[in-house]
Amino acid sequence: MAIPVAAMEQAPIDWEVPEVQVGLWADAWVRFRRNRLAVVGLTIITFLIVVALVSPLLVHFGLLANPIKQNVDSIETGPGVNGHLFGTDILGRDTLSRLMIGSEVSLTVGLLVQAIIFPIGLTIGLTAGYFGGRIDNLLMRFTDIWYAFPDLLFVLVVVSVWRLSGSWFFQLIPIFGAIALVNWVGLARLVRGQVLSIKEKEYIEAARSSGSPPLKLILRHLLPNSLGPIIVTLTFGIPQAIFLEAVLSFLGVGIQPPQPTWGQMVADGVEAIYPNPTGVVFPALAIGFTLLAFSFIGDGLRDALDPRMRR
Amino acid sequence: MHLRSGIRAFTLATAGIVLATACGGTSGPQSQDLASPDKQVLNVNDGTEPNSYDPTQQTYTYEAGVGREVFETLLKSNKDGTDVQPGAAESYKVSSDGLTYTFTLRSNAKWSDGQAVKAADFVYGYKHLLNPALAAGYVDPFFDSTIAGADGYGSVDVSSASAIDTFVSGLGLSAPDDKTFVIKLQHPAAFFKWVVTLWVASPIRQDVVEKAAGGSFSSSDTTKPEVWAQKAETIIGNGPFKISEIVSKDHVTLVPNPNYWGGAPKFTKITEWFIEDANTAFAKYQTGDLDAMTVPLANVDLVRNDPKLSKEAKVYPKLTTFWMTFNAKRTPFDKPDVRMAFAKSIDRDKLNKQVQHDIQQSILSFIPKGMAGYDPSNKAQAFDAAAAKQLLQKAGVSASDLNKFKLLTRNTTRNKTLNQFIVDQWNTNLGLNMQLEVIDSKTVTSRIRKGDFDIYGPDGWGADYPDQQDWFDIFFKASCHSLNWGCVDLPGYDDLVKQADTELDQAKRNADYKKAQDQLINSAAVAFIFQDYEYNLIKGYVGGLTITAGDDQSLPGNFFWHDAYILKH
Amino acid sequence: MAVIAGRPKRGALLPKQFAAVTDSRLGSLGVYVLRRVLWMIPVVFFVIVITFSLMHLASGSPWDKAGGRQLSQVVIDNLNRKYGLNRPIYEQFALYVWNVLHFDFGLSYQYQGKTVVELIGGGWPYTATIGVLAFALIVPFGIGLGVIAALRQNSRVDYATMGFATFAASFPNFVIGALMIVFFSVLMYKWTGGEFFLPAGGWGVDDHLVMPAVTLALLPIAYTARLTRASTLEVIRQDYVRTAWAKGLSERLVVVRHVLKNALIPVVTTLGPTFAFLVTGSVIVEQVFSIPGIGRAFVQAVNSRDYPMILGTTVLFSLVIAVANLIVDILYVFIDPRVRLT
Repeated sequence: MAIPVAAMEQAPIDWEVPEVQVGLWADAWVRFRRNRLAVVGLTIITFLIVVALVSPLLVHFGLLANPIKQNVDSIETGPGVNGHLFGTDILGRDTLSRLMIGSEVSLTVGLLVQAIIFPIGLTIGLTAGYFGGRIDNLLMRFTDIWYAFPDLLFVLVVVSVWRLSGSWFFQLIPIFGAIALVNWVGLARLVRGQVLSIKEKEYIEAARSSGSPPLKLILRHLLPNSLGPIIVTLTFGIPQAIFLEAVLSFLGVGIQPPQPTWGQMVADGVEAIYPNPTGVVFPALAIGFTLLAFSFIGDGLRDALDPRMRR
Repeated sequence: MHLRSGIRAFTLATAGIVLATACGGTSGPQSQDLASPDKQVLNVNDGTEPNSYDPTQQTYTYEAGVGREVFETLLKSNKDGTDVQPGAAESYKVSSDGLTYTFTLRSNAKWSDGQAVKAADFVYGYKHLLNPALAAGYVDPFFDSTIAGADGYGSVDVSSASAIDTFVSGLGLSAPDDKTFVIKLQHPAAFFKWVVTLWVASPIRQDVVEKAAGGSFSSSDTTKPEVWAQKAETIIGNGPFKISEIVSKDHVTLVPNPNYWGGAPKFTKITEWFIEDANTAFAKYQTGDLDAMTVPLANVDLVRNDPKLSKEAKVYPKLTTFWMTFNAKRTPFDKPDVRMAFAKSIDRDKLNKQVQHDIQQSILSFIPKGMAGYDPSNKAQAFDAAAAKQLLQKAGVSASDLNKFKLLTRNTTRNKTLNQFIVDQWNTNLGLNMQLEVIDSKTVTSRIRKGDFDIYGPDGWGADYPDQQDWFDIFFKASCHSLNWGCVDLPGYDDLVKQADTELDQAKRNADYKKAQDQLINSAAVAFIFQDYEYNLIKGYVGGLTITAGDDQSLPGNFFWHDAYILKH
Repeated sequence: MAVIAGRPKRGALLPKQFAAVTDSRLGSLGVYVLRRVLWMIPVVFFVIVITFSLMHLASGSPWDKAGGRQLSQVVIDNLNRKYGLNRPIYEQFALYVWNVLHFDFGLSYQYQGKTVVELIGGGWPYTATIGVLAFALIVPFGIGLGVIAALRQNSRVDYATMGFATFAASFPNFVIGALMIVFFSVLMYKWTGGEFFLPAGGWGVDDHLVMPAVTLALLPIAYTARLTRASTLEVIRQDYVRTAWAKGLSERLVVVRHVLKNALIPVVTTLGPTFAFLVTGSVIVEQVFSIPGIGRAFVQAVNSRDYPMILGTTVLFSLVIAVANLIVDILYVFIDPRVRLT
């Protein structure tokens, strides 16, 4: 096989010629919508957001079991027992209801953390990679320090000096801080590596010699050309942040029980993996679908924003 | 993402000794039923590696689980935990004033290298234990408050070798001859016979310690006296087993001490593994890598419903009680009625029979079932939601006053589960909306020491030995920030308990301790919740085990492993 | 570090006699490595500063116990004196740094009489073995799957890789580990009557290594595969690759000479730290499979506030990460000769 499938499949896209000249974002949106998987991803996420918003109402009107209502007469039951569609947990609470209510916190954690990491990692990585030399050296030695940063200790210090109570969102603020503070380094080095290799390429040389200002050069050429790996890193960060929330809660930073979250459901479920394996499988599936949806959206977004695919 | 996640370690710091619910065969095994010597191997899970292999420096049950096998104390608990029986000493005498204990050592007691055990080894061991520079965890209060001359333990300048020497040589410990060891006490103490059964009160050989250290050393030196305990070859003990191999954080291997006075044990090898994850241990039991293990709570019903495993399961009581502590320094928990209202609004049977799968048993009093002093007659703290609400009203406390309080919880899965249930009970039965506060264990300890909490639990106590003296001093005013976290005010309690501690007449002691226990219950000093039971799987081919309530955690029968064996299978 | 072509090289600042050395490619690499190694000193110093401060800020003392009778103040004072914790904090810090300069990392608080060096030296071989094994799985599988998925975009292989990656990322390794034990130990033992099964934990240089290494490798394989796929897709669309296809070069030639070389930059970037994390231990994998490694030791040290052990482990980790990142930066040059070190 001489020509790979990928190369052939790209061909039709090149011939698309919009009838009217449209802007970057409108154009991207058109191409995003044509990507079936991306639309599926967007649908899943929309569904999850609706679930997150509507579940508290369903509980309020009694259409959904109360996620913190204990019933110790039927603990650790499998799916379908005693009217619990997804079974119950170690205190007899309804797993389906906990999953639905937990989506609110877990989605927020997964997304907001990435939203914090992204600008930090991107700025440092771009700066280091683009300017090189001493700036690069200093910034990268700085990231070396952060790589070795004792985050577990940091979290314990946060516990003792900075405890917020109130609604779950306020409880989450130290979590965002703790996770984001130590996790921008991977992204920064990734972006820097991309920039290092791309900036020596001919078209960048050409742009530079024609006198383009650095910032413009960075945003126009360097960023779009490094988007793929960045999107992968960000989407993979979502489930990791959801699990980290569970670990941090365990250490006392953040969401306290009985408020359910997906990460804590997985962590609690693994203790009872012998009698009730579904307790860990359901929340993991929910996290899996979220990741899948964001991966689809990420792929679609990357394709839609690819400068080489624009007309 | 690289946060290395937190650890799940539930270690009950209190070591258990004592009590007995003897299981296991009473008649000796027929030799044709025994497995061959190469199969006389026992694999058990000790959970965590001892922080030290020097018995005097050990504190936790997982440490005692090694120390006890390798070293033998003067006396030991008998099989049913009602009294002491001879250990390294064949007999002992107490002077009529109760102040002098004279121990006569066995003439045939030998160290694992064949040398005779001498009284001087006990003198050296006790002095090593009581050296303030080494700061052993189990000196206070067992030894510094009993042995003559040891009451100054706290005020010794540990940087000065001469100050230490003066203190140590002034202790009431002596060896008039090779086989006689004499201990003088500060005051009469009927319980002292139990103190010498603590595994930390082991003999230690001066020549072994000094040889490993490369010569004699100053008493203020804190490193050299511990060198001998680092390697299997230099750990010379007088117990039925000796250490043949230490693989740090993985396992320790014990083999028979051929010179043990009672004859070599039948086991030719015991491996104590350090497996922290309960589910991993459960898997290793099922694949035949472990011969005994403690069943994780979540798997209890699974074991009960399994035709094979259910036959290998054993449940037995521990001398351990758990309770919830109220901070009596914070209003309104200074009011006994408020504390009682909380105590009376926990449905213990629901907690223990359902959430804890009917392993742990409800208790409304302090001293656990299985030792002298257990008295279930006082039911003042029994579950009664209506009465609890009335008590709150009587105290003039409304629900909204209480909602700001939190239940401080250590970050173990078990504590988290129990406390979610208990808070739910309070919220349901008292009409509150209280919250939980789950924090890492060290932070919890530092906060309760500072009195920075509202309610904390479950806290517990496990017997070091089955004498009530070991229990009641927990609630002394003086132990306010080392054990009696709630700092609850108990008028007359300290005097009553101290009187019972120094009294020699057992009947009088029991009567005083009963009064003290009633005071704890009636003033709801704490809310008693449950007594701990151990649910173990033990392979059917492990024979001759004598399981007692004092066995170290997850090591069933370890007080009498000398007599246990493996059957043909 | 990388510098834009045309700027004066830093080597020019060196005395003349070094000019011959620094002008040669190998020579300049040598100087570069030497400078980076020297840079590790301030990096490690700041890591010590941060760790030292956080350690002492975290509540709880090394002598607080998880339950039961607490040590009396007297014993605590004695312990503080024994380990020098009664001195002013800046003195403790200076003493620590001074000792580290003499390669003395102190005595553990938790394990009596054991030095930190002994404890780390005892546990690291276990951790490193599993880490290296896992890494050996990650490189071929991660990159291989990623390249195939990119070349056959939207094919079944691509979807299968996507499915696998999603699975690996949404089941955290403590769940994967527990599930593997259920299947490959307990159930296999039952089904085969004890003939074939994998040991549920413990150490052994045999089948004991299978489950820990796989568990540890699963998420990095998934991530590496997705990353390789994304970056390969970027490269495939570049004009020069299209030209190469158009010229009719064989697929293998195009992939190896044009695609892989350019696509590997982000992969190599992340593999460096991944390697460092793997060989310094995963507490979860070590705990689930009961491996006496330093990942577990570090968390235990933090939980018991074993200060010298915390510092020792963190210093080791910072060195490993610095070396790994140095290797990555050197690899850039070999992968893409246009990237330059100074």
